[in-house]
Amino acid sequence: MQTSGSSSESVLTGASVWIVVPAKDEESTIGHVVAELAQGEWVVLVVDDGSVDRTGMVAKMAGAIVLRHAVNLGQGASLQTGFDYARRRDASVLVTFDADGQHAPTDIPTLLQALDSGCDVVLGSRFLGEIVGASWLRRIFLRVAVKVSNRLSGMTLSDAHCGIRAIRASALDQLTLTQDRMAHASELLKKLGRTDLVVVEVPVAVRYTQYSSSRGQGLTQALRVLFDLMFNRSL
Amino acid sequence: MWIRLLLLAGLALTGYSAFVRRRRMPVHIMLIMMFLAAAAGMVVFPDVTNWAAARLGVGRGVDLVTYLVEVSLLFIVLHYYSKFVLLQQQLTTLTRELTFLRQDLDQLRGPKAGE
Repeated sequence: MQTSGSSSESVLTGASVWIVVPAKDEESTIGHVVAELAQGEWVVLVVDDGSVDRTGMVAKMAGAIVLRHAVNLGQGASLQTGFDYARRRDASVLVTFDADGQHAPTDIPTLLQALDSGCDVVLGSRFLGEIVGASWLRRIFLRVAVKVSNRLSGMTLSDAHCGIRAIRASALDQLTLTQDRMAHASELLKKLGRTDLVVVEVPVAVRYTQYSSSRGQGLTQALRVLFDLMFNRSL
Repeated sequence: MWIRLLLLAGLALTGYSAFVRRRRMPVHIMLIMMFLAAAAGMVVFPDVTNWAAARLGVGRGVDLVTYLVEVSLLFIVLHYYSKFVLLQQQLTTLTRELTFLRQDLDQLRGPKAGE
């Protein structure tokens, strides 16, 4: 973790908080996720990443602003699109949130409180919080991912790729995501490791269902992430 | 004899095609021409590869040609992969701009009936 001066603006009082939800073919869960998020004092922005189902329409009907990629670009590109759009609308804080229903909206105030205490970036940690429904194989996989990620980023974190995070908009200048697909999570940590932004982890609950597990990262995708990190930006 | 003529014709056609599509004679076209000339030399004087292989210590001429082909293929794959990555970045930029334009347009139009 690094320390430095950060914005003293309170994110809990009057700041413009945007929840960015990247979604690809999440018709069955996105309505419920947006409906839960829409109960909070923030703007819900869904980036429909070229879905072939009714993800965008369902999200819009549930109360979200919906941006649509004409073609599928990947989760990293969707998040960056959401960040860019929200900043154009004067967002001061951005929260990333998965569309498959594995995160709890009740964790968002915890993230914002941590941000309010003077941090620039708050990362959700499953291992500090609660993991429900994960198989032992997934837990081992996640532990290995943490070790690899820490080695790559030079940071010491308890979790690697948890999808729920809060970031001050002012910090995003240093954190532009160029990895379009799943390698964006490692890229973000790598960039954080090279800045003097204040980063903390807070405990969050992650609930894996059969559906969310089927959408998660397997070994093949993990290898692709490694490949992207090694080759995509060095060419 | 016929096979040599066929190979030389193929090389000449490749060279002509590369030359016609040139843009201000960039360096890589020059390299392609030199590569094709070397290949034509090997077709006309096959013993040259044996001589070069013996000098380089890689056994037979055919081994030398195989190694050169492998290196060339690797270079081509890497070259086109870097092009692919660049195209992917451009596609991302374009798609993002299109997304913002569409959103701005939708807002200008206002909510549709029933929304």
